[in-house]
Amino acid sequence: MPLTTPWRSRALTAALLAAVLTTSSACGDDAPGTSAGGSIKIGLLASLSGTYQAVGTEIRDGFQLYLDTHDGKLGGRQVDLIVADEGNGAQTAVPAATKLLKQDRVSALTGIVGGGSVAGVTPVLNETKVPLVGSNGRPELKDVSRVWHTSYLSDEPGAAIAQHVRDNVKGSVYAIGPDYQGGWDELRGFTDAFGKIGGKLANADGKTTFTPFPATTNFLPYFARIKASGAAAVYTFYAGSAAVDFVKQYAQSEIKDIPLYAAGFLTEGGVLNAQGEAARDIYSVLNYSPDLDNAENRAFVAAWKAKHDGSPTTYALASYDAAAVLDRAIGAAGSNPTPEAINTAIGQLGQIASPRGTWQFSTTTHSPVQKWYLRQVRQDGRALSNTVVGDLATVGR
Amino acid sequence: MRGEVIRRARGGIAALVLVGLVVAPWVVDDYTTSILARTLALALVGVSVALLTGVAGMPTLGQTAPYAAGAYACAVVGSRVSDVGVVQLVVAAAAGALLAALTVPLVVHARGVIVLMITLAIGELVVIVLGRWRSVTGGTDGLAGIPAVRPFWGFPALASDQARYLYALVVVATLIGVVLVLLRTRAGLVLRAGRDDETRLRASGHRVAVHLSGAHIAAGAIAGAAGSLLVVAQQYISPADFGFDTSALLLLGVVIGGTASVGGALVGAALVIAVRDWLFGVLPGHAPLVLGALFVATVYLLPTGVNRARGRLRPRDAPAHEPVAHDQATVAEAHR
Amino acid sequence: MIAVAAGTNRIDPYLIPALDGVAYGLLVFVAASGLVFCFGVANILNLAHGLLYAIGGYTAAALLDGGWASLGLALAVGVLAAAAAGVLLAGLLTPVAAGNHLSQALLTFGVALAGGSLLVAGFGPDNPQVRVPAALEGSVMVAGHRYAAYRLVFIVVAAVLALALYLVVRRTRAGMLVRAAVDDPEMVACLGVSPARIRAGVLAAAGALAGAAGVLGAPIIGPGTGTADTVLLLSLVVVVLGGLGSMAGTLLAALAIGEIQTLGVALLPSAAPFLLFAAMAAVLAVRARGLAGRWRPA
Repeated sequence: MPLTTPWRSRALTAALLAAVLTTSSACGDDAPGTSAGGSIKIGLLASLSGTYQAVGTEIRDGFQLYLDTHDGKLGGRQVDLIVADEGNGAQTAVPAATKLLKQDRVSALTGIVGGGSVAGVTPVLNETKVPLVGSNGRPELKDVSRVWHTSYLSDEPGAAIAQHVRDNVKGSVYAIGPDYQGGWDELRGFTDAFGKIGGKLANADGKTTFTPFPATTNFLPYFARIKASGAAAVYTFYAGSAAVDFVKQYAQSEIKDIPLYAAGFLTEGGVLNAQGEAARDIYSVLNYSPDLDNAENRAFVAAWKAKHDGSPTTYALASYDAAAVLDRAIGAAGSNPTPEAINTAIGQLGQIASPRGTWQFSTTTHSPVQKWYLRQVRQDGRALSNTVVGDLATVGR
Repeated sequence: MRGEVIRRARGGIAALVLVGLVVAPWVVDDYTTSILARTLALALVGVSVALLTGVAGMPTLGQTAPYAAGAYACAVVGSRVSDVGVVQLVVAAAAGALLAALTVPLVVHARGVIVLMITLAIGELVVIVLGRWRSVTGGTDGLAGIPAVRPFWGFPALASDQARYLYALVVVATLIGVVLVLLRTRAGLVLRAGRDDETRLRASGHRVAVHLSGAHIAAGAIAGAAGSLLVVAQQYISPADFGFDTSALLLLGVVIGGTASVGGALVGAALVIAVRDWLFGVLPGHAPLVLGALFVATVYLLPTGVNRARGRLRPRDAPAHEPVAHDQATVAEAHR
Repeated sequence: MIAVAAGTNRIDPYLIPALDGVAYGLLVFVAASGLVFCFGVANILNLAHGLLYAIGGYTAAALLDGGWASLGLALAVGVLAAAAAGVLLAGLLTPVAAGNHLSQALLTFGVALAGGSLLVAGFGPDNPQVRVPAALEGSVMVAGHRYAAYRLVFIVVAAVLALALYLVVRRTRAGMLVRAAVDDPEMVACLGVSPARIRAGVLAAAGALAGAAGVLGAPIIGPGTGTADTVLLLSLVVVVLGGLGSMAGTLLAALAIGEIQTLGVALLPSAAPFLLFAAMAAVLAVRARGLAGRWRPA
C-alpha cells in the first residue's frame, strides 16, 4: 500500500475522526420532543448562509417574532426552538434536518427555503413521523400526509394574475423565467391559465423562454428577443440576485417601456432596495403586502418594525403564520402533544386569521386556499414599496 | 526498522478504526449513524478522486459526474426494476464506468490544472443535464420515494439507520479491499510510475494513455458504486448532491488525507464532509466561516501542507523538484 | 449571395448582444487579469480571487451615492482594500511551498469561504443597491437600439485599462521582472529580488485589479452572496483558456466568454445552459491533445 502521508498526519486524522465520533455521540440526547415541564421542541430549518440567506433570515425572524409576541409559547407550552442551517440546498439540508429530527427529536419542523430541500427532507419526516409546517418552498409530493405549507404552490401566483393580464394587455405577452423547478412551475401557472382564457404568448415557438439558473447574470440577449417578438407585455418570475439583475437591466434596455408583470418575488423585500428606481411601476401578484388594511396586519407590521429595518416580507409572514398554525395545533393536541397528535390537529384547524387575511389549508394539497393581491411598486414616503392596487382571484385546491 | 514500526502502527490504527466503525451504530444515536452512512458514500467518491489525483496524476473536480450517473441509475433501477442491492450496485458502477469512458477522450491527454478545469466543466455539464432531463431525473427538485433496498435476494429491506449504515460499510470495505489489491498489481505500479516520470515511461515503451484511460474508467466505476450508496443512505437524490461544492470539498478532503494514500483519502474526505454536515446543524449561519477557518488551519497543521512540494498540480513547463517519497514506483520497478 | 440574404434585419437583433458581449468580456478580463498574475508569475492557485472582486463590489455599494466624486472615492478605497487583502493572502501563503497548488487551493478556498461569510455578515445578506453617477444612470441610442449608458462608458474605460496593463507589462521594469519571473524564476532570484516580495507584490496587484473590476463592474455583476463564486469561476475559465499567463491570450479568452454568454445565448437559446462549459471542455481537450502530440517523439 502506498504510504506518502507521514505518520504524524495519520495519527492526527485518526484522532480527529475519533473526536468527531465522540462529540457527536456525546451530543446524543434521547429526550422526547415534549418534557414534563410543559415545554416543547420545535425545529426550524432555513438557509442562514449561502445564496438564499436573505430569505432564510426572514423566515427565522418571522417565526421568532411570533414567539416574542406570545411569551415564547405555542399552545401554552414554552418553546425550545432549535435552529439549523439549510445552506444552499438538499445536500446540506438533509443532514441538518436529520439532526433536528433524530438527535434533537423535535415535535414539529418548520421553515425550509428550497423546494428541493423539502423533497430531500420528506423521507426522514416519514421515517420519524414528524409533521413539517413549511413556510416557503413546496415541491411536487406524492404523499402530503405530514407536509403542510403556509406559503403557496408555485403555480398559483401566475394563475391568480392571468385574468388581470388578459383584461388589461392589448396584444401578446412574452413569458420568461429561470430554468429550474420553481421557475417552471411559476411560469406554467401563468401560461396555462392565460392560454385557457384565450391569451396569446409572444414567444417565438409559443413556449416560455427559460434562462440558465443561476448562471444568467446578463439578460440583454433575451431582451433583444423580446423586442423582436413585438410583445405588448412581459410576464416573469425571478427572485434574489437574478431579480435584481433582471429589473435593473430591463429598465435600461430597449424594452423598458413594455409593461412588466411578475410573480411578487421579483420585487419582494431586500431585492426592491437593490433595484431602486428601476423597479418603479412594476406590477406583481402576491398573497401579501405590508399595507393590507386589517387588524392582524397592523399589529404584525408594527411588531416587525419595532425590531427590524423596513417592512416584513411574504417570507416572514409565512413563517409567522407557521408559528400561528403550530400555536393552535399544539393547543388542540391535548395534554400529550405528540408529533402525530399535532399533525392530526393541524388538519382540523379550519379558518386561520392572518395578516394576509383569513385563509385555510386545502384538504388535498395541504397548502393555503387564499386571496391574491395585485401590487405595484410606488413611492411610499422616501422609499419605493409594493402598494396593493387591487384584489385578484382566491386560489387553492 | 522505522518503516516496520510505522507499518505496524498503521495496521493497528486501521484495525482500531475498522472495529470502531463496525460497533459505531450500537454506540452512537440514529442521527450520527445516518450521517456516517452518507459520509461513507462520499468518502468512497473521495477514494476515486485520490486514485485519479494522487495515483494517476490527474487532479479531478469531476468525479461527481460518474457519482451522479451511478446514483441516478441506481434510483431509476430501484424505483422501476429491482430493489436488490447487488443489482443496483452493479448497475450504478456500470453507469459510472460508462460515463467515465465517454469522457476519456477529453481528459486523457491533458495534465495538471487543465485536467482540473476539463473535469470541472464535465461535472457542471452533468449537473445541468440532470436538472433538465425531467422525465428521468425529476429535475432540480430531485427524485424522492425511492424504495428501501434489500442487500441480496431473499434478504429483508433495510429499514433502519443501523442496517443502511452497515450495508454501506460492507460495500465500502469490499471495494476498498479490491482497490488496494489492484494497486499492488503491475498496472498500479505503471500508473504511479507514469505520474512520476511520464516521458521515461513512454520512452520505455509503455502506453501511458491506455493505463490512464483504464484508471479513469475504474475510478468512474467506484464513484458510480458510491452513488448507489448515497441513494441507500438518503433515499433521495437531487442535482444539488453533485454540484461544484461537493467536488471541491472532496478534492480538499483528499488533499488533507494525502492524495496518494487510499486510507488517507478515505479519512480526509469523510472528515471534511462530516464536519460540514455537523456544522450546518450545530452552528446555523456560521458553518462556512468555521469551515473556511478549519481549512486554513489544516494547511498549517498538516505536515503535508507546508513546505513540502507534493502537489501534482504544477504548470506544464515547471520542472519537478521533488524528493523521492517512499511510495514512488520508479520506472525500473514497473519493469520487474 | 449569402451576404445579400443576410441583410441588416437578420443582423440587427444581434447588434446589442454583440456589443454587450464586449462589455461583459472586458469586465471578465479585468477581473481575471489579476488571477493571470497570480498563476503565471507567482505560481499561486488563488481560489480567493472572487473574494477580492466582491470586496470591490461591496465597497462600491457602500460608497456610491450617485455623484462622480463618490465613484472616484469608491475606486480608490476598493482598490486599496482589495490590494490589502491580497497582501494579507500573500502573508498567509508564505509558509506554503511555491508550486504546491493543492495546499494553496486548500488555504485560499478556506479564506474564500470564511472571507465571504464575513463580508455577508458585515454588509447583510441582501444584494445592496449600487448607484452609479446620475449622468450614466439612463440609456443611450446605439444604431437605433437602447443601450445602458454605463455599459458603453465601461467598455471605453475597461479598454483603456487593458491597454495600460499591456503597456505596463511590456514596457516597465516591474513588468519585465514579472515576465522574467514567468520565464525563469531562479534568474530573477539571482537578481536580488526576493520571491516573497514578488509574491506580495503580485498578490497586491492582483487584488488591486480585482478590486477595480469589482468597483467598476458592480453595476454589471453586482455584489451579493454568489458574486465571489461567479467571478472566480469565470476568471478560472478565462485564465486556463487564455493559456495560463499570456495577457493577449487572456484578453481573447475573456472576449470569447463574453460573446458566448451574450451573442451565443441570443443565437442558440436552447443550448444556452451548456454553451460556456461545453466550449471550455472542447477547447481545452483539443489543445491538450495538440500538446501531447508535440511531446511525443517523432
